[in-house]
Amino acid sequence: MPDTLPNDRGDRDEDRNKDNFWVQAARYSELAVILPAALVAGWLLGAALDRWLHTTWLYLAGIFLGIIAGFVELIRTVMRDTK
Amino acid sequence: MPEQLWFTKILNHLFAGPVAALLAALHVAPKYPGAPIPNSLAMEILVFLFLLAMFLAVRATLSVDRPNGLQHTFEAVENFVQSQSNEIIGHHSEGYTAFLTALGLFILCCNLLGIVPSFESPTALPVVPLGCAIAAFVYYHVQGFKHAGIGYVKHFAGPMWALAPLMFPIEIISHIARVLSLTIRLFANMYAGDLVTLVFFSLVPIGFPVVFMGLHIFVSLLQTYIFVLLATVYLQGAVADEH
Repeated sequence: MPDTLPNDRGDRDEDRNKDNFWVQAARYSELAVILPAALVAGWLLGAALDRWLHTTWLYLAGIFLGIIAGFVELIRTVMRDTK
Repeated sequence: MPEQLWFTKILNHLFAGPVAALLAALHVAPKYPGAPIPNSLAMEILVFLFLLAMFLAVRATLSVDRPNGLQHTFEAVENFVQSQSNEIIGHHSEGYTAFLTALGLFILCCNLLGIVPSFESPTALPVVPLGCAIAAFVYYHVQGFKHAGIGYVKHFAGPMWALAPLMFPIEIISHIARVLSLTIRLFANMYAGDLVTLVFFSLVPIGFPVVFMGLHIFVSLLQTYIFVLLATVYLQGAVADEH
């Protein structure tokens, strides 16, 4: 079993998109909203799990993971074009 | 009773009863039982009927020897989307062109509908861009599973096995955030475009609003392009071959 897994926004096929100005523009336009969007997505997911599992803390975990997800997406997008 | 456009009034006059019965069967209480069809849904239905009529007209007059203007227009749109998806996804992108073209044409017509007097842009309400974003989200995940089978789940596991338990929820949130990102961008741009045109129309009703209507057309085209482009990029991420 390989010790690494493929990632859909990882290294593969990134060269194809690197030269396309409009793809880059669209990706960068996403950066403005990806942080708050990820936070809200995490909160929604956590709140839904709270309702389902009758817990009271999963929304906080969701917000925390949403912040991380937003930063991961942000760093990935920036790193993709600076490599 | 809400303020209804003339087309919404016609739909509510014809279908209010069956729609209210359907909503009651689904245990959904409409805000206005006498007019359960809102303007946004009525405008979506109008765009759907318009596009259906266009497609039928193209199909009825399809000719290899003497293509008419409508056929040329639709071929140009289809070729544009196909070349764009071919550049992003690769040589196996032909199967996705139909969905991407239909999505793009629907969003473009919805965006431009606000310019026609007595109509409004359904995309200036958050539910319609959300529906389009969910359609794109479901489509690219379905294509991902069709392409890679159950192995598509590995896309959510991150770059290393050891990090998979942490990366899995982060990736899921990240994908849901894409839906919100697509929704907010389209909704905010169309809402702001409508509002700016309306404000300047109320200040200077003659001549000046034309400039902002031109701007609205440009924003409509640009936002449609960005929406379809990002849907194509997400699709590429889902169906890309592993190296």
